[in-house]
Amino acid sequence: MASTAQSTSSTLPKGVAPLRAGVGNSFLWRRLHSLTGIVPVGLFLLEHFLSNAEALNGVGAYNAQVKFLTGLPFRLGMEIFGIFIPLAFHALYGVYIWWRGENNVIDYPWAGNWFYTVQRYSGILVFAYVTYHIWYMRFAGVHLVDHYDASFWKVQHELSHQLALGIYVVGVIAASWHFGYGLFLFAAKWGIVTGKKAQKRAQAAGIALSILLMLMGLATVYAFVTAEPQKKNPVWDQHSESAPEQSRLIPQSTPSSQAR
Amino acid sequence: MANKSVLFKIKRQASPSTEPFWEEFEVEYRPGLNVISLFMEVAVNPVTRAGKPTTPINYDSNCLEEVCGSCAMLINGKARMGCSALVDNLEQPITIEPFSKFPVIRDLQVDRSVLFENLKAVKAWVPIDGTYALGDGPRILPQVQEQAYQLSQCMSCCCCMEACPQFNESTGFVGAATIAQARLFNMHPTGKVLKQERLAALMGDGGIQECGYAQNCVEACPKDIPLTRSISDVGGDVMKKAILDFFRT
Ligand code: SF4
Ligand code: SF4
Ligand code: FES
Repeated sequence: MASTAQSTSSTLPKGVAPLRAGVGNSFLWRRLHSLTGIVPVGLFLLEHFLSNAEALNGVGAYNAQVKFLTGLPFRLGMEIFGIFIPLAFHALYGVYIWWRGENNVIDYPWAGNWFYTVQRYSGILVFAYVTYHIWYMRFAGVHLVDHYDASFWKVQHELSHQLALGIYVVGVIAASWHFGYGLFLFAAKWGIVTGKKAQKRAQAAGIALSILLMLMGLATVYAFVTAEPQKKNPVWDQHSESAPEQSRLIPQSTPSSQAR
Repeated sequence: MANKSVLFKIKRQASPSTEPFWEEFEVEYRPGLNVISLFMEVAVNPVTRAGKPTTPINYDSNCLEEVCGSCAMLINGKARMGCSALVDNLEQPITIEPFSKFPVIRDLQVDRSVLFENLKAVKAWVPIDGTYALGDGPRILPQVQEQAYQLSQCMSCCCCMEACPQFNESTGFVGAATIAQARLFNMHPTGKVLKQERLAALMGDGGIQECGYAQNCVEACPKDIPLTRSISDVGGDVMKKAILDFFRT
């Protein structure tokens, strides 16, 4: 009797577990996920959109902005602790959250549920896009820390590929939405905006910010695509610490080698 | 015979361990029929649409006026109360299923004890037990009464949890109803004594942090309980507690 009861109980659906009061750290991690989405990741996103919009002011302005950013003191430390680690945490914990959520928007096609679903999937999209974007812009090809003056060319060159252009447009839209709506979610979950009317306003404000960022990002992409095509300087392929020295040497050495 | 009939199909299950199966029924139309009254018709004449004799349908119900919370089920895919689901407003054939996130006992009857466990975990009561008379309780301002009354109408139907995309076996999320009840008892001048314990409980695994703010709960709740408002409110309380705990303990 007891043995049969045991063997069936292991196969029976148990349903959702009750609250584990006083157990675990998920509160801390989940709230940290929420917070890192705003500070520093969201703040960085705003800076990044604004800096990139310098492209609207032309090649010189854009490259100068990159020079300014790459020349900031503690650049590497800020990159690692201010951007990379929080961003990686937000992304990876976000995938975990996405994994444990569920889609029921077909049965419950309500606005909030649509937004919830879009928030989950836009997060995944942004994760994929940003991984590609960081790899290409920060690590692969011409190194912009060594050659800030290659910045405009590098982005323009990248966007000249149809597929890359498509990926960037989708990435900009997804990131804008995820941040703007995420700001509303932050305000609602942390109890900053609680009332019904106030939440309606906050939601509208979040969505408005999303749209603003989208327009800004797409205008920037447009500026790159429509600007006069830049030429690649072979010096830019010189890499690492010694690059600035070489870039001074090479223009001098080229005429002399031609003379010989 | 009937010139108009009602078509519906029910996902049935004989016991917790057996496979579910569908049965189709047809009963004579009457104005004002609701889903529970369809089941009553089947009990009078337990025969499927195909003419096969079957057993009466097993389901929970009690008040038949949407106040007891027992008759919750999935009707045309949505979590709602059978007794207040009027046939006139439903698309036919009506599909009726037991809740999907609670273990089935038999047919439409499910085990919703998880909500009771959750209410116990957050101490959703006013502690007044003692060995001597405590005298009159403190006064409750009418403004507070008004807010509390809304929350006190929760009938533990679990619609808010069934509809919530975060309430599932991998999160083990507590669900909106319990959070709203924690808020109700935190509002009470005597119930407040357990406020910190309630908030601490809601910070455990499966606690308030698992809410993804999809707002299905508030849409699904048959009693129009301000659930998302409660989640935000308690969310703020919990953050205040977390920050104070960080600096003051
Ligand atoms: S707001 Fe959404 S995620 Fe939160 S409890 Fe309600 S339905 Fe669930
Ligand atoms: S909050 Fe509403 S939906 Fe949830 S259990 Fe209570 S009455 Fe039912
Ligand atoms: S029977 Fe009580 S709510 Fe339906």
